[in-house]
Amino acid sequence: MKQIYVRPEQCMGCRSCEIGCAVQHSEEKSLFSAVLQSPPPMKRLFVESNDEIKMPVICRHCEDAPCLRSCISGCLFRDDKGLVRRKKERCIGCWTCMMTCPFGVITRDREKHIAVKCDRCHKLDVPACVNSCPTGALVFVDIDDMPKEKRQSLISAAAKEVL
Amino acid sequence: MMRHIIIGGSIAGISAAMEIRRSDAGALITMVSKEKPGAYYRPMIPYLIEKDGIDITFTDDPAKKYGIENIFEMATGIDAEAKEVALSSGDKLGYDRLLIAAGSGPVIPAIPGLDGDGVFALRTREDALGIKAAAKGKGDAVILGGGFVGTKAAIALRHLGLGVTIIEQQGQILPGRLDARGSAIVADAMRAAGIEIITGDLISEVIRDGGAVVSVRLSSGRTVKAGLVIVAAGSRPNVGVLRNSGIKTGRGVLINEMLQTNFPDIYAAGDVVEHADLITGMPAVSALWGNAEEMGRLAGKNMAGGNIKYAGFLSVMNATDILGIPVVSVGLIEPEGGGYEVVVQDGIDRYRKFVFRGDTLVGTVLVGDVANAGVYTNVIKNRVPLGRLKAEAMKEGLKYVDFVGSAPVQNLMG
Ligand SMILES: Cc1cc2nc3c(=O)[nH]c(=O)nc-3n(C[C@H](O)[C@H](O)[C@H](O)COP(=O)(O)OP(=O)(O)OC[C@H]3O[C@@H](n4cnc5c(N)ncnc54)[C@H](O)[C@@H]3O)c2cc1C
Ligand code: SF4
Ligand code: SF4
Repeated sequence: MKQIYVRPEQCMGCRSCEIGCAVQHSEEKSLFSAVLQSPPPMKRLFVESNDEIKMPVICRHCEDAPCLRSCISGCLFRDDKGLVRRKKERCIGCWTCMMTCPFGVITRDREKHIAVKCDRCHKLDVPACVNSCPTGALVFVDIDDMPKEKRQSLISAAAKEVL
Repeated sequence: MMRHIIIGGSIAGISAAMEIRRSDAGALITMVSKEKPGAYYRPMIPYLIEKDGIDITFTDDPAKKYGIENIFEMATGIDAEAKEVALSSGDKLGYDRLLIAAGSGPVIPAIPGLDGDGVFALRTREDALGIKAAAKGKGDAVILGGGFVGTKAAIALRHLGLGVTIIEQQGQILPGRLDARGSAIVADAMRAAGIEIITGDLISEVIRDGGAVVSVRLSSGRTVKAGLVIVAAGSRPNVGVLRNSGIKTGRGVLINEMLQTNFPDIYAAGDVVEHADLITGMPAVSALWGNAEEMGRLAGKNMAGGNIKYAGFLSVMNATDILGIPVVSVGLIEPEGGGYEVVVQDGIDRYRKFVFRGDTLVGTVLVGDVANAGVYTNVIKNRVPLGRLKAEAMKEGLKYVDFVGSAPVQNLMG
């Protein structure tokens, strides 16, 4: 299965991925109208930094997803592609999933009073964040399809990031 | 072929059944459950009171999907030597492995006049629908107990237009679940929404007129008008079925780290269990959905031959939204005695509290702003020593990236 991988050493902290994500999840899916949308569209990934590193923090669609397991309404579910998604109409905004996601990538839509999370742009071939990243810090690949040498570099990057 | 019997068909029981099926395609799995027609999201029942037409059932019927046989009866006893469960019909079911996932039930205090019409607990879908029906045409309701269940019942009934008063015997609502400051913020919002809150007082009598509830009398002597009383005085493990079975219980069923009882082929999971709290080490009953799911899943794995150790639960791990205020509390939130360091950030639109033991975060209260709450939960649950990050946590708060880099403090995922 294709996954999004992060290569922190490539990230400049430009937040293009955040903008790409918010635009993709806006009503008209264009930057121009997204800027005017009120309330503004919400991003589903977060560029975070510390003294040593900058990187987008993304939803892993965890195999053992704490958010899904703790959701008290049946809103969160795993779709047939393996993605952890929402049945929006079920969400009651109890924020349990925010309490249990170890990566802090679920946020609160204050207007609609529901939880917001990554759907990995399930209708697109390539997720918007990956498409928007100018440096290749986000890649969308199936590591099983990659040549071994290349796979190694990616795994180490991914492993470092997952630490 | 292994025969698994599960007593209780809610989240702990279902999670176990699904896990058994994943490990063993041929296993016979029978769930004995007294709630018909099957599992639903129990924490959603307060919303049944105020909203019409919401669906709180499990979307994919797990019984069908995972080949689980449902028996909608009461289990009345366990013969651990003969390996049999007795049912209310008089039938007996033999098992190779048994799971006790009987959950918990409401504590109903002995108060004169409490027994009878117009008084409800809020534990089941039936209860919620009963409250909804009884609330029609009633002007006022009294809620006995200001815990999460009482608070949610109060808000639901207020939304239906009733006058609502919460009577809480302790000094604050949400005792044990929020600290005094967090509780006060929530209580202010509830009062602003027209809910009356009386703390430090008890209901001493329910006054009836021709059978119907008309008011309650408090220990202080005060009376409060009410046509409806909701009992939300906490819950207690459903251990009745274990009577004379020889299975060891405290407040709940005692388990080891494999989720086994003192009989190795009998497991227990969910609200029915008593286990040491991960942070305090004190015996505790969890009463939380996510914990019941986790215990059920691990018990199921082990029943099907797995060998997974359960680390234990945090008995405080609550998230909710009270009238638009997001609230999260995790771990030890009101430390007693020395050896703790407490950092409080009390702002206009958020209140945050962090409790440290040395450089380990052991508890947090987040009110108004719950961003990154899961990072804290994970650090608390896995008892990650923060080292140099402690200063960061106290200043800005923690975020995931703090755990990444050349010298990660420790694997955040435990
Ligand atoms: C109003 C309300 C709101 C809640 N909100 C939250 C929340 O926001 N977040 C959260 O984490 N938790 C919440 N909880 C707690 C959560 O619902 C429980 O922790 C969870 O349901 C426990 O699951 P369980 O499977 O252990 O037991 P239960 O859900 O209690 O299920 C046990 C089942 O076993 C049946 N049973 C018992 N004895 C027998 C027997 N002898 N024979 C046959 N069947 C039997 C019972 O009838 C019941 O159907 C809430 C609870 C209530 C009541
Ligand atoms: S939201 Fe968090 S817990 Fe849920 S799948 Fe994504 S990363 Fe995992
Ligand atoms: S906020 Fe919504 S998605 Fe998250 S746990 Fe609550 S009901 Fe589920």
